[in-house]
Amino acid sequence: MSVVKMENTVKNYRVGKMEVPAIRGINLSIEKGDFAAIAGPSGSGKTTMLNLFGCLDKPSGGKVFIEEHDVISLNPDQLAEVRNQHIGFIFQSFNLIPVLTAFENVEFPLILLKKDGPRVRRKKVMDMLASVGIADLYNRLPSEMSGGQQQRVAIARALVKNPDYVLADEPTANIDTKTGHEILDLMLAMNQKLQTTFIFSTHDPKVMEHARRLIKVRDGQIESDVNQAGI
Amino acid sequence: MLIKLAFRNIFRNLRRTLITLSALAIALLLMILFDSYYSGLDLATFKKLIDYETAHLKFYSQGYKEDIDNLPIEKSFDPATVLSVLRADPLVKSATPRISFRSTLSNGIYQLPMVGLAVDPDQDQTVFTMKQSVIEGEYLVGTEEAVVLGYEVAKDFKAGIGDTLTVLCRTKYSTFQALDLPVKGIIRSDDVAIDLNSIIITLGAAQQALDLGKGVTEVDVRLKDIDQIPAFKKKYAGCFPGLELWDWKQVAEDVIAHSESHAMSKNITFACIVIIALIGISNTILIAAFERMREIGMLAAMGMKRRQIVGLFILEGTIIGTVGSAIGCFLGFLLVTFWTTRFGFDLSFAMKSWGNVGFRNLIFLGAWNIELILQAFIFGVVVSALSSIYPAIVASRMQPTEALRK
Repeated sequence: MSVVKMENTVKNYRVGKMEVPAIRGINLSIEKGDFAAIAGPSGSGKTTMLNLFGCLDKPSGGKVFIEEHDVISLNPDQLAEVRNQHIGFIFQSFNLIPVLTAFENVEFPLILLKKDGPRVRRKKVMDMLASVGIADLYNRLPSEMSGGQQQRVAIARALVKNPDYVLADEPTANIDTKTGHEILDLMLAMNQKLQTTFIFSTHDPKVMEHARRLIKVRDGQIESDVNQAGI
Repeated sequence: MLIKLAFRNIFRNLRRTLITLSALAIALLLMILFDSYYSGLDLATFKKLIDYETAHLKFYSQGYKEDIDNLPIEKSFDPATVLSVLRADPLVKSATPRISFRSTLSNGIYQLPMVGLAVDPDQDQTVFTMKQSVIEGEYLVGTEEAVVLGYEVAKDFKAGIGDTLTVLCRTKYSTFQALDLPVKGIIRSDDVAIDLNSIIITLGAAQQALDLGKGVTEVDVRLKDIDQIPAFKKKYAGCFPGLELWDWKQVAEDVIAHSESHAMSKNITFACIVIIALIGISNTILIAAFERMREIGMLAAMGMKRRQIVGLFILEGTIIGTVGSAIGCFLGFLLVTFWTTRFGFDLSFAMKSWGNVGFRNLIFLGAWNIELILQAFIFGVVVSALSSIYPAIVASRMQPTEALRK
């Protein structure tokens, strides 16, 4: 069963008077439990694909389905609702809220979700911080943590609301190689433990090796889509 | 969480927040001080008028007020009925008759035009404070034939107690009358107009000299409570045929109009001060929005709706407004309580350039206006919130993909 799907999806950007194609007629289905890397050189369309999967942008043509619902007709508030309920985000530069502690950063999406009371939220947040191995840092501000620790907080923040899938835009780009591997191992562990679907972009060949499914894109089109689970 | 986030955000750039806070606080502080000054000036002006010239209310003959610049003594009336009714009225503290008349004062060498005031010395002091202003000699008693001079008049004529001056006037029938009167007292009041060109004689002497019989030109009323003026006017509207009733604001309409023009200039000043402060708040929030674009993109990515982002930034502006307003109002409260209402504003330095501003005493006590302080606080908070709307909308309209790229 696909959690998110593109059908003949096209995205063009206007640069001055020119229409520049970023992706050109992509068909792609991400299945539940996938741990998929979208790989390709700069300008190949990776980030555009993640933006479309993340309902941060709308396609110029074709369709994007989230759990079989086409999101193209949704207004900005409905898209925000979809992001809030179904999608977790991990950013290249962590993007934690600098004035909130690790605990508060992870709690934030739960507050937006308005489902749980303070006690339930506290338990979920502390459990998630423990899962990513930084429970003891719960009271620290982002400025008091290393890059790897901040990215762990970002992973906890993305996963705490139990989303259908997590989008990670070059999650290891701003951290050293060793920490990068730890972060990928952590993402993989969470994927296996929680059965959460992960879609991440990268242009680092070593990161690609971690993916069970490797989708290579070039010039806005899928070049290859390989299941690496057995490799 | 939004409140916590907004509160912490405003301390991200502490210096900028403090500058913005200070601008608003100083704006409100100045607003409160200006109001205290202007209100104090008004109160002093009104008190002076009531104590020396208008009382709370006046009864005139029909048509007297329209012709008041000519002080028409032919429009006099017998006050006996009015006074007997008023003195029995529980609303009334006291009532007194007066005659205002045109006169010329002469010492045999030169003469000057004067406003003559004829008073019943015993009753007059229960309505006006003329007697308390005597600085030399004594005030008049009974119906004696003597004159009390304003301080400046005495100075002009180099007259002292016991000197005799001639008061020239016209009777009701336009014949000339001359009274040789000894100077009994000299008054120095808060009302410079009285000191400059007034002479005071007894009502009995004036009635005889002006051929008025028992007539007077006005009956002045002081109520126990000034707030009862509307009730009093309602009660006595048309009660005495041939007489008109005017309250002090109507009698002193020129002064009231001047005070209202003060109020308008005060409001314009307030508006300028507050606009400058609010541009500061709006600017601070706008800069904060641009500085935090990527964060706004991330908040939007996490599912924060536009109205929540608008709410966050308005909340930040409102917190700055609340803290700034609270500081400004508190400092204003302290300054009004411990300075302006105790020591006042000393305007004697301005006397040299302004000349005669109608007051003897140039130290005005400020007025204490808690209502304005509360209004200033609410105003500061509300307008801060309003001034944050534009930057908040700018922030909320940022596309998440664009914002995340910053």
